[in-house]
Amino acid sequence: MTIYASFVGYRMAAECARNALLQRVVDNKENAEKFKSDLMKIAMTTLSSKILSQDKEHFAQLAVDAVMRLKGSTNLEAIQIIKKPGGSLKDSFLDEGFILDKKIGLGQPKRIENAKILVANTAMDTDKVKIYGARVRVDSMSKVAEIEGAEKEKMREKVKKILGHGINCFVNRQLIYNFPEELFADAGILAIEHADFDGIERLALVTGGEIASTFDNPESVKLGHCKLIEEIMIGEDKLIHFSGVEMGQACTIVLRGASHHVLDEAERSLHDALCVLSQTVNDTRVLLGGGWPEMVMAKEVDELARKTPGKKSHAIEAFSRALVAIPTIIADNAGLDSADLVAKLRAEHHKEGCNAGIDVISGSVGDMAELGISEAFKVKQAVLLSATEAAEMILRVDEIITCAPRKREDRM
Amino acid sequence: MAAVTAAQPRSSKTESYVDNKRKEDIRQANINAARAVADAVRTSLGPKGMDKMISTANGEVIITNDGATILNKMEVLQPAAKMLVDLSKSQDSAAGDGTTTVVVIAGALLKQCLTLLSNGIHPTVISDSLHKASIKAVDVLTAMAVPLELSDRESLIKSASTSLNSKVVSQYSTLLAPLAVDSVLSVVDPAKPDMVDLRDIKIVKKLGGTVDDTQLVKGLVFDKKASHAAGGPTRMENAKIAVIQFQISPPKTDIEQSIVVSDYTQMDRILKEERNYILGMIKKIKATGCNVLLIQKSILRDAVTDLSLHYLAKAKIMVVKDVEREDIEFITKTLNCLPIANIEHFRVEKLGHADLVEEVSLGDGKIVKVTGIKDMGRTTTVLVRGSNQLVLDEAERSLHDALCVVRCLVSKRFLIAGGGAPEIELSRQLGAWSKVLHGMEGYCVRSFAEALEVVPYTLAENAGLNPIAIVTELRNRHAQGEINAGINVRKGQITNILEENVVQPLLVSTSAISLATECVRMILKIDDIVNV
Repeated sequence: MTIYASFVGYRMAAECARNALLQRVVDNKENAEKFKSDLMKIAMTTLSSKILSQDKEHFAQLAVDAVMRLKGSTNLEAIQIIKKPGGSLKDSFLDEGFILDKKIGLGQPKRIENAKILVANTAMDTDKVKIYGARVRVDSMSKVAEIEGAEKEKMREKVKKILGHGINCFVNRQLIYNFPEELFADAGILAIEHADFDGIERLALVTGGEIASTFDNPESVKLGHCKLIEEIMIGEDKLIHFSGVEMGQACTIVLRGASHHVLDEAERSLHDALCVLSQTVNDTRVLLGGGWPEMVMAKEVDELARKTPGKKSHAIEAFSRALVAIPTIIADNAGLDSADLVAKLRAEHHKEGCNAGIDVISGSVGDMAELGISEAFKVKQAVLLSATEAAEMILRVDEIITCAPRKREDRM
Repeated sequence: MAAVTAAQPRSSKTESYVDNKRKEDIRQANINAARAVADAVRTSLGPKGMDKMISTANGEVIITNDGATILNKMEVLQPAAKMLVDLSKSQDSAAGDGTTTVVVIAGALLKQCLTLLSNGIHPTVISDSLHKASIKAVDVLTAMAVPLELSDRESLIKSASTSLNSKVVSQYSTLLAPLAVDSVLSVVDPAKPDMVDLRDIKIVKKLGGTVDDTQLVKGLVFDKKASHAAGGPTRMENAKIAVIQFQISPPKTDIEQSIVVSDYTQMDRILKEERNYILGMIKKIKATGCNVLLIQKSILRDAVTDLSLHYLAKAKIMVVKDVEREDIEFITKTLNCLPIANIEHFRVEKLGHADLVEEVSLGDGKIVKVTGIKDMGRTTTVLVRGSNQLVLDEAERSLHDALCVVRCLVSKRFLIAGGGAPEIELSRQLGAWSKVLHGMEGYCVRSFAEALEVVPYTLAENAGLNPIAIVTELRNRHAQGEINAGINVRKGQITNILEENVVQPLLVSTSAISLATECVRMILKIDDIVNV
């Protein structure tokens, strides 16, 4: 019976906490300068707990630039991340075009301006009939030669049809074997093979083209466009760079680092930062960080507990204590004396207009607005509400039923 | 529920105590495992370093001194130790040499971290200080560096020799070092003077002879015989070379086919048609004046049949078959020609020209050499010989390291002295800097400086000298201002190492320090291993 009181109490507390935050939120969407600096601060706060923390200004700037180019869409597909071992994290950079990690075919131009791109997903090695066991029966060698000639002719026709689209660049998801490669080279077309699924989808999205599988109707296929395609070298590898693409939001972040572990972790951290920033661009409310929102919520919820009659006030009080766990853990992980710091923090929060939070660098209570530690309101709200819901759901469970494992017939 | 929530903080207190102990254990285990790996390769450092023989599960035996190869082949299970293996690989791809050095430095740094951790310093603090120290170290090294001109062939040869000195093939360094330098200088593209693509230098291995017989070939070398099947020519002067990607064999469709004959005359007709078909193709080839054919290996069908070889021999065309598809790019770049994918496209413009193509007998095998190529692309080939397969493989790896060293010099034209001199100088300067830092930072930077001394220590140890005496003497000399004093293992004493021509590229040392620091910082931040 008492458990229901706790649910009601938690829900009231969560609502109260959320309102407490809503009152103190800061919204800078009118002022572009301030908004940009908000984004930088949020990015740096997100990155400071990750491996990128040493170069956080550099990466925060990268993330903010990338997200500003998105102009409000939350479609992170347009930002491509390429990892190349070698160099160090500082050597990572943002490139304004699209980079494909593939090579250009032999004998083809390495640089094309004002490119019209056809993105395709078709087999260019042999044109097999896809019926298993299909055979041809002939009675003389010359007929076989004829059939072989016909197959080559078929490939030539296909290439001609492709060329009939008036393109100067052809990107294929599958292999482009020697014969069509040479035909393309002769026609001065840049052909790229083996661009994997991911690359093809992104390229189509970014250049504004459609992925084609048949080439009979050139009018109905939408071609991609970009100003310049050229081959560049990063570290030891050659890559293809598309710049001035139609979808201006596209960009590529090239990550360099010591080893694959470092690169993978850097990609994950950067992804976190990009997600947070893209959400903030839509919902521009920001809060201070460093344990400040938790303490603010804890204070409000505590007061609510005092005003509420009945058993649920105990639940509300407990909620408030739980919120204080966050600054406690931050202090503990930093090797500081959490009991002391949290107590100091609580005292500070009783003053008006306080911005106090935990400053782990100096190991004491500090002003979060001065230190530039900010978080997005949307993040905090989501954390609060989801955590409360999850906790409630777990508390509601009072029995676990395990199903018997599936019977295995062949067990002796 | 008040009981429930009140119990929560208390249990978390005990939980965190147990947690801390587990954290400590994990960290210790990680550091110990990584150090074990570093100790395993320590003895290969330096000119008197020893090699390792690795016997793999499938019976393959490898002898090598190259740190990256040793670590690669060693089957390391512990995840933190695997990070050191990765570290060596990154150093290999970034600088090419110093793969053993980087692991040794990482091991020493971890040992110092263990001491710092046991003194109660927080890992994040250590990590931040190490980062600061490594940035300062790179600055100090850059200040110590000597600039270099690419036209200064002598200095390039000196650094290539230093790199080769620690390998099995060190006696041949007077031959191999100039070879490495010349090959890199010949592929440097004047339009892009800072970048060298090592794929433009092909290393071909041929068993037989000794490493002394290694030579630089200004042309192409194929580790294959010319086709002798029908007595075709094995030597061609004024060659016109075609690289073909199609097959000179009876037509075969992509769909499965079969020819159905019902009587003898039809069979006869089939043979005749086959012959005419092939003859037609060869006539076209001959008409362009082509006299050497390089045929790509085909997955679709037989590239050449006996009949076609017979006709090609009669037409006095030299044939080299089974060329790999990956090599085609290198070959066409060298010959400055285009590959031909279909007989219809066979035109004179697509041919390459060379003065001489001949099959040479080497040891108990044969190779095909193409020399005197007109308008040769910016590539070069090195033919490596060796008395047995193991020596051959190690010679190739050592040559690769030397090539990477020269490449480093092309991209960052600075040299520093070798023989442990830069490490001791760094150690001294960082030690002095640490005294002006506040708090824990100074302590950590000082440990970083001490860790760097492991390089001269190991060099002396491997050379059989008394390491403590040598390192103390080195420190003394550096304190008196001789920043180029290093360990001369041949004489067994400290001398001015710059005059002894022991130099290494700046990029190798800076990259070793930054990569080692990054890896150590990552290991420090780990406090739990999750098995999935």
